[in-house]
Amino acid sequence: MGRRGAIGLMAAGAVGYALLGPKGARQAPRGRVVIDYWEKWTGQEGLAMERLVDAFNASQDRIWVRYFSMAAVDQKAAIAIAAGDPPDLLGLWNFSIPSFSATNAIQPLDGLIEAHGAAIARRFAERYGDRGFPIVAERYAEPAWDLVNVGGRLWGVVNTCSSMALVYDRGAFRAAGLDPDAPPRTIEELDAASERLTTYDGAGKLVRAGFHHREPGWWNWIWGYWFGGHLIDRDTGDPTATDPRNVAGYEWVQGYPERYGASRLISFQSGFGNYNSAQQPLLAGKVAMALHGPFLANVVKTFAPAFDYGSAPFPVAASVYDPEAPIGLLESDMLCIPAGARHPEEALEFIAFTQRTESVEALAIRHAKPSPLARDSAEFERRHPHRWIGVHNKIVRSARAFPKPPTIVWPQYEDEFNAAIGAFWQLERPASEILSSIQARAEGFTEAARRRRGKRGGAGT
Amino acid sequence: MSRPGTNEWRAGLAFVSPWIVGFGAFMAAPILMSLYYSFTDYPILEPPVWIGLDNYARMFTDPVFWTTMVNTSIYALFAIPVGTALALVVAWLLSQDVRGQVFFRSAVFLPSLVPLVASAMIWLWLFNGELGLINAVLDQIGGALDGAARLVGLAEPGLRGPNWLGSKAWAMPALIIMSFWSIGQAVVIYIAALQDVPATLYEAADLDGMGPVTRFVHVTMPMISPVILFNVIMAIIAAWQVFAVPYIMTTGGPDRATYFYTMYLYDNAFRYQQMGYASAMAWVQLLIILSLTGLTFVVSRRLVHYRAG
Repeated sequence: MGRRGAIGLMAAGAVGYALLGPKGARQAPRGRVVIDYWEKWTGQEGLAMERLVDAFNASQDRIWVRYFSMAAVDQKAAIAIAAGDPPDLLGLWNFSIPSFSATNAIQPLDGLIEAHGAAIARRFAERYGDRGFPIVAERYAEPAWDLVNVGGRLWGVVNTCSSMALVYDRGAFRAAGLDPDAPPRTIEELDAASERLTTYDGAGKLVRAGFHHREPGWWNWIWGYWFGGHLIDRDTGDPTATDPRNVAGYEWVQGYPERYGASRLISFQSGFGNYNSAQQPLLAGKVAMALHGPFLANVVKTFAPAFDYGSAPFPVAASVYDPEAPIGLLESDMLCIPAGARHPEEALEFIAFTQRTESVEALAIRHAKPSPLARDSAEFERRHPHRWIGVHNKIVRSARAFPKPPTIVWPQYEDEFNAAIGAFWQLERPASEILSSIQARAEGFTEAARRRRGKRGGAGT
Repeated sequence: MSRPGTNEWRAGLAFVSPWIVGFGAFMAAPILMSLYYSFTDYPILEPPVWIGLDNYARMFTDPVFWTTMVNTSIYALFAIPVGTALALVVAWLLSQDVRGQVFFRSAVFLPSLVPLVASAMIWLWLFNGELGLINAVLDQIGGALDGAARLVGLAEPGLRGPNWLGSKAWAMPALIIMSFWSIGQAVVIYIAALQDVPATLYEAADLDGMGPVTRFVHVTMPMISPVILFNVIMAIIAAWQVFAVPYIMTTGGPDRATYFYTMYLYDNAFRYQQMGYASAMAWVQLLIILSLTGLTFVVSRRLVHYRAG
């Protein structure tokens, strides 16, 4: 082939690629206000949100939402906001609020709602036949509303929320002679059930752990809460790692390596498969009970649809047990408007669209999560993929649902627990000593953060 | 009329300008800005505030900073010399005229082409304490040793594979072992250097009655010493910047046993929103690498031989 032929071939390839190759974000129809929306979700969860975006784009002819799914959205958003080129909408987490709000990186919605809420409500009435503006406190479960309503200001809306609970293998319960309809309610009952559910092979190696604190290992800081503890003082923001109830929680954690052998448990844990796979320890029969989120239902549906699981509020110390007000971790994904967003009113309209009961429940069902609303529609539980979503809903609405500690130093504080969990687990030191070390570190960086905020004239942590 | 050469100068600048602009905008400017940020409190979302040397002073009292310094030093201390020696030995073996030489060279180089994330995932399973291949082999060996001990009436040694990445004692050795997986690039450079050693020198060594070891020490090593120096310096830089593999395999655990300098720098910059402190750490890291490189040059003066002409 001659030189001209080669150049012609390359040109044809380039034209073909331009015409038939991968396309960027879908083009907005002419005349619409385009708003950019950055979201953290990928895969199944990302697709669910994209469907909601498509439904909004198709439901009106004024606004066009461009949806961008990305990893590490908080870090990228921080840089974009600092550079003065933020998106119009951001999908963060409720625990992002302290750092983003303290630095005015996100806008409170209160003023925007006051300015544009009525007009949006009118448009929704014409378009969808809705009554009233959807973002009002009365529509939400109080703990869910409180996740985004911090310091008297509304920093975003909950677009999905998760309440963590005890998930257990009902088949294993039956095999061990336990009643699968009577899951453990207290720590003592959990320990007793765990003992019955734990099995070994002939060589004494663990085959199944009744309960394992490090499956899935996402909440190494949580164990004091089941004894009534908290990691920060809600009034002062001071760290309270050494609260006696936290000490009791971690002494309980250390009871497991004491009973079953630290190296045996750690070695056993190293054989756990990935969360999003058929080797997930609960699905694979390696663990009979674990602390999990409701979204596990989607993993079950994909990899082991026949897996017979149950769900119950996580057991607590007998002294704090109250069946009417279960204790549980509540986390949420939130939609917010960054400072400097070019189209805040249009962004608010899309946010309001996501908060209509129909949208909230559609997203919750696709994500296999509970609803943040105070009341479900009649169809919600029936259509939900999680058989026990009622348990998770109850935690969302419980007065004792708790969020990750709302402090600006939370990433560091949490890392201290992540680093120390090995020391707890390996019984290197008594729980109280390890917690004292964490407390000392936490006091140090909390104080440093306060000094830094003080120099800028900002409020606490 | 322009002077002869001016047009060439302009043309040269025009051709090189994409690089100059790229270097200026994406390297020089951020480097200088990070120097400024290192003297500020800069939480990214708010403007930087000048705090003088506070960030540098803070390092002296930050225990996590010192943990990462110690971890990174230990890693470098073992990964660099052992990796260099291993690469040299493998290169020497692959320089021998044996059947399948091309296959063996490809096999050694191939891991260097595998993306770090993929390598990390493979090694994560190889080091798995419960199901990993390494422990399966070690357990077999341990079992055989126990059997042999029983036969001769001795106590069973009871050797078994450790829980590599789950153990504070073994996580670091595991990462050091894994670093040898990617010696391929160094091996290729050593092979080229070994082939460049004049055959006449070996002939002279043979005539002088040198054995293979003496010949390697007194002929080969001096002749390839500039290449060894280059590889050692590259290894120092890589060891002090190790990030992706531990980030994927251990996330710094257990109990910060594999928490490296660059990981802490990254966490400060992007997770804790302390870009000022992270910038100061980056400059200290640069100074450490420069010092170690300088020290290597000084120490190598008597050991490295450059060919005349």
